[in-house]
Amino acid sequence: MQLLKKLKKASPGWFLLTAVIITMLLIPNVNIIINLFGEAGENWKHVRDYLLINYFQNSLVLVIATGLLAAFLGAGLAWLIAAYDFPGRNFLSWGLILPLAIPPYIGAYVYQGMFSYTGPLQTFLRNNLQINLNQKYFDFMNLKGAIFIYTIFLFPYVFLMTKAFLAKQSASLLESSRLLGKRDSTIFFKIILPLSRGAVVAGSSLVMMEVLNDYGVVKYFGISTFTTAIFKSWFGMGDLPTSVRLAVMAMLVIFVLLFLEKLLRGGRKYSYSTSNIRPLSRRKLEGSKKIMAQFFTYGIFFFGFLLPTAQLLYWSFLSRGGELIETFNFAFTSILIGSGAAVLILVGAIIIATTARMSSNFTSNILARITILGYSIPGAVIAVGILLFMLKLDEFLIFLQTGFGLGTNIILSSTLVMLIFAYAVRFMGIAFNSVNSGYEKIGESYFEASRTLGKGVTETFFKIDLPMLKPALMSGFLLVFIEIMKELPLTMILRPFNFDTLATKAFEYASDEMIYRAADLSLVLIFFSAAAIYLITHRSKRRKK
Amino acid sequence: MKKLIIITILFSLVVGLGTATFAAEEVNLYTNRHYDTDEEILNRFTEETGIEVNVLKGDSDQLIERIAREGKNSPADLLITADAGRLHRAKERDILQSVNTKTLAQNVPDNLKDTDNYWYGLTMRGRIIVYAKDRVDPKNLGGYEDLTSAKWQDEILVRSSTNIYNQSLLASLVAIYGEDWAEEWAAGVVDNMARKPQGNDRAQATAVAAGEGDLAIMNTYYLGKMINSDNPAEVEVARNVGIHFPDGENGTHINVSGAGVVKNAPNKENAVKLLEYLSSASAQQFFASANYEYPVNPKVEASELLQSWGDFEPQNINLTELGINNQTAVRIFNRVGWQ
Repeated sequence: MQLLKKLKKASPGWFLLTAVIITMLLIPNVNIIINLFGEAGENWKHVRDYLLINYFQNSLVLVIATGLLAAFLGAGLAWLIAAYDFPGRNFLSWGLILPLAIPPYIGAYVYQGMFSYTGPLQTFLRNNLQINLNQKYFDFMNLKGAIFIYTIFLFPYVFLMTKAFLAKQSASLLESSRLLGKRDSTIFFKIILPLSRGAVVAGSSLVMMEVLNDYGVVKYFGISTFTTAIFKSWFGMGDLPTSVRLAVMAMLVIFVLLFLEKLLRGGRKYSYSTSNIRPLSRRKLEGSKKIMAQFFTYGIFFFGFLLPTAQLLYWSFLSRGGELIETFNFAFTSILIGSGAAVLILVGAIIIATTARMSSNFTSNILARITILGYSIPGAVIAVGILLFMLKLDEFLIFLQTGFGLGTNIILSSTLVMLIFAYAVRFMGIAFNSVNSGYEKIGESYFEASRTLGKGVTETFFKIDLPMLKPALMSGFLLVFIEIMKELPLTMILRPFNFDTLATKAFEYASDEMIYRAADLSLVLIFFSAAAIYLITHRSKRRKK
Repeated sequence: MKKLIIITILFSLVVGLGTATFAAEEVNLYTNRHYDTDEEILNRFTEETGIEVNVLKGDSDQLIERIAREGKNSPADLLITADAGRLHRAKERDILQSVNTKTLAQNVPDNLKDTDNYWYGLTMRGRIIVYAKDRVDPKNLGGYEDLTSAKWQDEILVRSSTNIYNQSLLASLVAIYGEDWAEEWAAGVVDNMARKPQGNDRAQATAVAAGEGDLAIMNTYYLGKMINSDNPAEVEVARNVGIHFPDGENGTHINVSGAGVVKNAPNKENAVKLLEYLSSASAQQFFASANYEYPVNPKVEASELLQSWGDFEPQNINLTELGINNQTAVRIFNRVGWQ
């Protein structure tokens, strides 16, 4: 045992690399948080007196309502897909993830455009049926509209995690309760929901973080939230300390919510697993139940993917398409930066996860927390943390350059290096989680066997672990790729000269009230994200067979 | 793994090569504009002068923040951004420098540039009132002060106060009438609002056409965009609203999109050349009409569409006032609950 422990120790090389990466991830965050201890300006008092309550209420309503709705929707759909069989089930098991390919801000523009006075629905009613309805029935730009947008485009996080969890559960519990004559609704609420609570909460907390950090939708709808306040006080009033205070408060909201959930759950741990895992045997639905299930699942797919995509196609047709070559260029940039950065981020995540695996529980927990830090702070706030850090590095490099008589060129902060680094800070958590779950699936016995046979840590990694990790790496790569394709605030703030991606260009057009021009760019973006989703889901299917 | 390493190396190479710069004469432009015609104008500048233009596009406020953070090593030479309030903010953040040349003095009128020559207006827009043609007699319309009148109870449509255009409008009223008057005015407008502020300027005009209210406050160029929209329903909306340039006691609020040479500009001379070029008669017409705006250069005529809207009397203030009074305006909005 003692020997095994020793063999599992990380080699100094791995540990050193991890330390370097973790430090790099931490510095921009610390750079920001340090502002919390600065003097609060006059603005802070003004914000606190007049605006804070409003921000707080709106953010809380958005986060809680979306978190709950997405949890129920995602878990319900996952249950339907995992436990029943009905026509279309196979397609929907990945089709229901597709809404994730549409960035919420594009979804918001599309839905608002569709239902507005000048949109296709009302134009049709007015011109063809002579129906003029009160505008309040079509009012989309309010809290309810925002909740709908967030829920319909973000619920797949919950769906994905819950579905994966249910697939790992042994079928016997479900079968026993069915044998005992429990109704399916009872089984869902009494057994499935409590059992998969961990997965549902994990997915739903991702949703809540996205909602809290989103800027595009609330800005367009004119809803004051913490994020709009952060932008307002920082870029509007030039007051970084105030905006950092707001960012930290926003993070506290999430922590409090998650803590409350834990409290409610108490010490209870619902988990049930045996080594004897059989997949759930799906019950075939017939008659009205089949129709209801189809109606519900296809309905969600329709509103979350089909309808917005169709609307974009129509707009793209109306604007007679943008310049094809231009669109192709942006797509090329997006894909190159997306895949390139994703590979680098994954390499970093592998190094950290491998070290974490060989460290104590305590250390590996801390490592996991640090990697996710960048995901829980608003993108724009991180962006400036990174800018400050890179500028400091540049100053040092300039100092070196002048020392060697090479002139003064800023190298890092004017190139893609900065942007890629920013992506790494933000998305390392996602990559890390993928790699880590891959390691969990492999277990440690192969690793231990190889080590006892006298192979080194590095050799074991390349010969044993890496080949087995491949599927997890692939899905990690694609997840990060999708995120980068959709990413907005970091790219907008940190990009170098003459650099446009599909997302930034689409947002420029859309925010300039030229949604028609944004349509083809959005479509290309959605196409590639959807393709990535298809690859993720179909790879894992092939593996099972 | 080998593939992974090869991809990584290739990628680093592409990034490295792609970002290396070789140009001899260049100017680095930070801009919030993203019209296709701009590219053409900049290309012609390069043809005439041999100076390459590197463009970094972004959100105005974020560009200002970026230049400020980049400090003395910033590669930025020229900053183009919309709204005098914002340009003033850039001056206050100490990222611009004063530039004074004969050409610029000829091309840009005094009231459309910074009093200390830190920035120059390049294109001009008015913040006007549009009304429902079928319900409102334009004779009943006056200046901005008229908007608080009881006859417009529940009839006014206007966007959120987080928007700089509203902030600058209120700042101009603070400059002309003082803070107390402006606060009373803002509270009066809030009382008369047809609905809570939501959506952009176009959405306000649309709401007028849809009958949600009789009047909307919006920038001129948005109307130009609606008239030229790809969506026939939007063109229809633009036809159903009338244009009124606030007259009353003190004219129409005008604003600019403009440019300033960055404080630590590594290519200062080229930046000045570009600024002069953009304000010149030959560039002004395209530069302004790309966004349906009025040229600032008095030698250049506005586009036909804009001329068809008629003449108007602008507020008699220097636009620097918009920046000076911005903070006051923002606070008034928050106090009177203009969301």
